Amino acid sequence: MSQLPLSKKISIEVNVNGQTRSADCEYRTTLGDFLRHELGLTGTHYGCEHGVCGACTIHVDGEPVRSCLMFAYQANGKSIKTVEGLSIEEKLNDLQTAFKKHHALQCGFCTPGFLMTSTKFLIDNPNPTEKEVREAISGNICRCTGYKGIVEAILEVAKNRNSEGTSAC
Amino acid sequence: MKSAPFIVYQPKSLHDAVQLSAKHGEEAKIIAGGQTLVPMLAMRIATPAILIDINEVHELHSIVENDKLIEVGSAVTQSRLEDYLSNTNAHPLLSKMMPWIAHRPIRNRGTVGGSIAHADPSAELVLALSILKGWVILANSRQQRKVSAQEFFLGALQTDRQMDEILVKVVFPKLDKNAQFGFVEYGYRHGDFAVVSVAMMKTNQDWTFAYGGINDTPQVFTEQLASSQDAIAYVSHLANTVDVREDPTASSDLRRHLMQGQSELLIRQIESGKE
Repeated sequence: MSQLPLSKKISIEVNVNGQTRSADCEYRTTLGDFLRHELGLTGTHYGCEHGVCGACTIHVDGEPVRSCLMFAYQANGKSIKTVEGLSIEEKLNDLQTAFKKHHALQCGFCTPGFLMTSTKFLIDNPNPTEKEVREAISGNICRCTGYKGIVEAILEVAKNRNSEGTSAC
Repeated sequence: MKSAPFIVYQPKSLHDAVQLSAKHGEEAKIIAGGQTLVPMLAMRIATPAILIDINEVHELHSIVENDKLIEVGSAVTQSRLEDYLSNTNAHPLLSKMMPWIAHRPIRNRGTVGGSIAHADPSAELVLALSILKGWVILANSRQQRKVSAQEFFLGALQTDRQMDEILVKVVFPKLDKNAQFGFVEYGYRHGDFAVVSVAMMKTNQDWTFAYGGINDTPQVFTEQLASSQDAIAYVSHLANTVDVREDPTASSDLRRHLMQGQSELLIRQIESGKE
């Protein structure tokens, strides 16, 4: 067996929630660990760390991905949005407010993933059916709510955005 | 759960990538989307000293289509192929199978070549390539070669790819113009591994049934059958006689039951003109 290479630090620069941030990490550092430990953005949560639970979902160049299944070096130069980037002028946005109203969270551990998944889903499908919502969030696991409140919150936001003719992101 | 240390090469061209795999083949792993490899690294099931990251190899990102086939570069993400197929209607059977691969955030990173090279027995793309009698193009530093799906998939997670080779293209033949088709999958949750998946094609009286999840590689059966009744009798015969694996997720009896029920469902869909 060949000897493992010594840890080598590399320099990563990303745009996170509109700000350019840079830090050093190892090649083996996952993007979620980089955000949490190097940049201090602890809103992104790690649950299973192998892509099953969806808690760590963030947006990379506008697309939702699992931040535990991507290395930080692969995000070098890319644009990232995390749950910290959802609020508008430090106030909860409409989706976050609806989650609160509909009791779409209890412990809150999975919530960042649900918010990031449904944020992109509502851009792609602004007028979804309940079945489509359930399918869209099927890659995210919540052990508290039974999903009912989460589905209601997402459907209400779709309805309100349509009636207001706006599409917040 | 953190990977053991490794270093990464990020070649920009196929030439550089195959040179690296010639030099480091044994101690390196190739990474594209990483949706299977990253968990294996995190759990230290795999501890390569080197990763060759092929995401920046520009030759591996093309989707090329003619009237007979679709050639997909191995580093094309599954969601890009999914969107391409739903926008162009270039391959309705493949298009129907794409959304069943895990979940959209996984497909946003997972690649077509990664899924084929990993050769999971229940993977949708492995089943698609098998039923369509597609092939792959592999390259090393000296040559490229073409390998049919049947010769490429050797077993569960085992392929004919050699240590110094990189998967370059995955080629999916198109359906016959008057072909009817169907796909159905049973898993415990949407996006989970298929317990049994069935793809079917029918041109005139030629019926093809392909089953994923039942054995180490997809099992493909073609038969001339005069009617839907004959087809139902045929799939019942298949479900009772072919080798079917058993594992902690499902007994072989359950898999046989699903093979028969799902095949019948597809036959009835074709009969009623719904695909």
